[in-house]
Amino acid sequence: MGTSPAGVAGVRMRGFERLPWRRIILVVLGIAIVLVVGIGAWKTLSLNGAEGGYSGAAWRDFVVEGVSQGAIYAMIALGYSLVYGILRMINFAHGEVFMAGAFGSYFFADAYEKSGFLDRDPVLALLIITGVAIAVSVGTAALLERLAYRPLRHAPRLVPLITAIGASLFLQNVFRGFFGPQPYGYPKPHILTGGTTILGVAMTRVQLLVIVVAVLSMVALQLFVARTTTGRSMRAVAQDSEIASLMGINVDRVIVITFVIGGILAGIAGVLFSLTFGQVQFTMGFRPGIAAFTAAVLGGIGSIGGAALGGFLIGLLRAVGPPLILTGFGIPSVFSVRDAFVFLVLVLVLVFRPGGLLGSGEAEKV
Amino acid sequence: MDVRSWIRVGIIAGIVTIFLALVGLIGRFVDLNLVGEQVTFARLVLIAAPLVAGYAVTRPRIRAGERRALAPRDAIMAGAVSGATAGLVFGIAVVAADAFGIDRIRSVFLNVSQPLIDFVTFGQPPVVGAVILTAVSAVAGGLAAGLRVTPIAVRRPITTAVSAVLVLGFLQRIIPIALDQLNFERDWLYSRSIGGLTWLGAILVAGVAAGLSVLNARKGRDLRARLFSTREESTGVAPAQLGLALVLVAVLVAVPWVVGEVISQVLGTVLIYVLLGIGLNIVVGYAGLLDLGYVFFYAVGAYSTALLTGAALNTFTGSGPPAVSLDLNFYLAIPIVLVIAACAGLLIGAPVLRLRGDYLALVTLGLGEMVTVLVRSPWLVPLVGGPNGMRGVSDAAVAGFGFREPQHFYYLALGFVLLAIFVSWRLSASRIGRAWTAMREDEQTAEAMGVNTTRFKLLAFAMGGAIGSLGGSMFAVQIGSLTPQSFEVTVSILVLGLVILGGLGSLPGVVVGALVLVGLPGLLREFEEYRGLAYGAALVAVMILRPQGLVPNVRRSRELQEEERAQDEWALEKEADVAVVEGIST
Repeated sequence: MGTSPAGVAGVRMRGFERLPWRRIILVVLGIAIVLVVGIGAWKTLSLNGAEGGYSGAAWRDFVVEGVSQGAIYAMIALGYSLVYGILRMINFAHGEVFMAGAFGSYFFADAYEKSGFLDRDPVLALLIITGVAIAVSVGTAALLERLAYRPLRHAPRLVPLITAIGASLFLQNVFRGFFGPQPYGYPKPHILTGGTTILGVAMTRVQLLVIVVAVLSMVALQLFVARTTTGRSMRAVAQDSEIASLMGINVDRVIVITFVIGGILAGIAGVLFSLTFGQVQFTMGFRPGIAAFTAAVLGGIGSIGGAALGGFLIGLLRAVGPPLILTGFGIPSVFSVRDAFVFLVLVLVLVFRPGGLLGSGEAEKV
Repeated sequence: MDVRSWIRVGIIAGIVTIFLALVGLIGRFVDLNLVGEQVTFARLVLIAAPLVAGYAVTRPRIRAGERRALAPRDAIMAGAVSGATAGLVFGIAVVAADAFGIDRIRSVFLNVSQPLIDFVTFGQPPVVGAVILTAVSAVAGGLAAGLRVTPIAVRRPITTAVSAVLVLGFLQRIIPIALDQLNFERDWLYSRSIGGLTWLGAILVAGVAAGLSVLNARKGRDLRARLFSTREESTGVAPAQLGLALVLVAVLVAVPWVVGEVISQVLGTVLIYVLLGIGLNIVVGYAGLLDLGYVFFYAVGAYSTALLTGAALNTFTGSGPPAVSLDLNFYLAIPIVLVIAACAGLLIGAPVLRLRGDYLALVTLGLGEMVTVLVRSPWLVPLVGGPNGMRGVSDAAVAGFGFREPQHFYYLALGFVLLAIFVSWRLSASRIGRAWTAMREDEQTAEAMGVNTTRFKLLAFAMGGAIGSLGGSMFAVQIGSLTPQSFEVTVSILVLGLVILGGLGSLPGVVVGALVLVGLPGLLREFEEYRGLAYGAALVAVMILRPQGLVPNVRRSRELQEEERAQDEWALEKEADVAVVEGIST
């Protein structure tokens, strides 16, 4: 392959390669995707109820579910994005930080349910549970940074990524070793069962709680990063850590704080996720972690607004995309390929717009 | 005299022991005898962290650019203090747990139980037990420290003997079977009643190992020089090398009949993973493209082999024909499988060529996961059977001689492994291999020097994919039926782990990595549950402590040498950090 003969053949070969093959392939691929999405959506929407189509109420439910899922993804995605912004590394184990918080809080939630405290004073109980989740997640994230990532601060880029994969596997199995492989049922306070209607949109109370809490915490994070001195030093380190340290910023401290903030958000997300799905298990961090990472990349990794936007978008795509596009083609049980849909979005974003929606067009090449 | 750092390391070791107990590595192995009934795995785990702590605190320090070892008395002191601290921390935890109530803890941490507490307190009341623990740990720490400061001529035979005894103790499910197979009397070596080595056997093994170690220290260099002399120095093949090669071939051929059916089965799986490792090694080790979705090729190989050799779908009512299938001879199907996989590699490679390393990793992860989801989705039931899978894959028979029997399968897989090793070895030594190296080390410079990186990246994906698909084909032949459970992201991580553990770009490393990560867990069934824990810890530890892997690629380690020396010094400066890591990785 590498030994193309010199002379005429070689020249012709080179001329052949000068055609922008990559661009042609991408354009063809892009057109194909637009066609598939367009035709699928059109066919689905032209179905009526008897033919397996969905009613308007069903679509509203999909959207609400997507937004509430997306809120959780957004909170996890912020953890990826903050760390990436500062260290330029993908903290692959962040999904496990989220799992750790959810798992840690389960034991308190379970105890409170058995003692009746969870229903007697749900607000206080949920606050304590969330506090526990935050503590466990923050502890995990800080330990991870200290033991696995700090010794590799100046290593080549792939080394921390492989370490992070190892750490992710390790953490999963630690929780499996501590608590066993079985899923645990996560209790839900009585006050959160049932539905409600906000601005004419029906949703479950858990979904309402998820959206409200997620939006509040993201606003708080934005204020923290924009208004406080620590936030300013975080932005400085993200721009140029060497110059920042010359300006008297303790870079190590900023990095730890970044992991801690990611942990706080992941802990809250862990409680919200467990309340939504009603169970915790040692593998629960993997898929949401990938979905959240996709969200971070989709929005433009390293940017807070981008991660939030990406989270909601991924939630919506995951909830609405498969029924909208695939049902029209008569594909059975469209919901089983939801996660494949997320991965497809991840691949397409990285291929077509690696900088993300809010980022620059193309990521740096090396 | 840095008492505070001794105590700090000791505290970390104590916490590590608590962690090991909570994960269940102590409580579940109380009855796993290694030597006699005295040396059990649980006891070993109990003193492992103090041992490591004692060893770690006596690490020679660099002061003003000079390497200074501790004086023997100081070292033993340091080790004992560290060990005692570790024992004390764990002892306090045990006393506290006992006071708090074992059952209450057990409702959260499944592995905390009364037998565990009885074991770690040596059957005494908790406080007395804690004191004994402290004393035992102090002795362990002191011993490890003492070992470190003894001269190497004494230290090496001791460590060799101890490790040989422990390794043989762990292999108690394998070696006795092999000995029985060969009709050797084995009761003097392995006891039938307690499982592990007998004391007599252990002493003999230790003696032989120590003797070999001494011999190796005296004559080893000379022997190695004769066996592995480089080509420039010797003309033709030296008799010693030829002898070595013959012995190697004889061993490889004889193995399945010596070890029996069960172990041959495990060896077959190891060979499948060696194939996968060789393929991934081309992509990651040679070309430097981190692929986290390698299971994709494994699945492509397995399912296309099944479809080409006339396998049937599992259905609720029995079996049915797939939507597309051929009924070819296995050896006709293999080239087609390779072409399909190479094309799949090109398809995956083409769109992701411009991506930076970590993004590439995630795209491939996404593609691999898509395959897992799709293979089990109801959507593809007509083609691959969905969650029910397929059955009736060809057994690759030649003139009626089938290869599904574990002992037969070994030879088939070995043949393909040797072929893959040959191809991969010749590739790495060729112009293509050099282009990959250049690209891996610095893509832009390589491009500036005239390496067509697009082409070589695609070639790496195609080659790696083709060899990986061979692993999938072998798997299909070995099992005869396919279900989606075999094609999960863990396969990708496992293969990546073995390539990295062995050493990126190193073919012997792939074999060693597969033996360690696939062979050992396959043989030591008790530890099945701790596989993931060990992989994860090994990946992190290798990346931090030994990024070049266990059996590094020679050329690559020469390239890295300068850099590494700098890294070593840097690591010594940060010895406290590394000590922490050492504690964790045990």
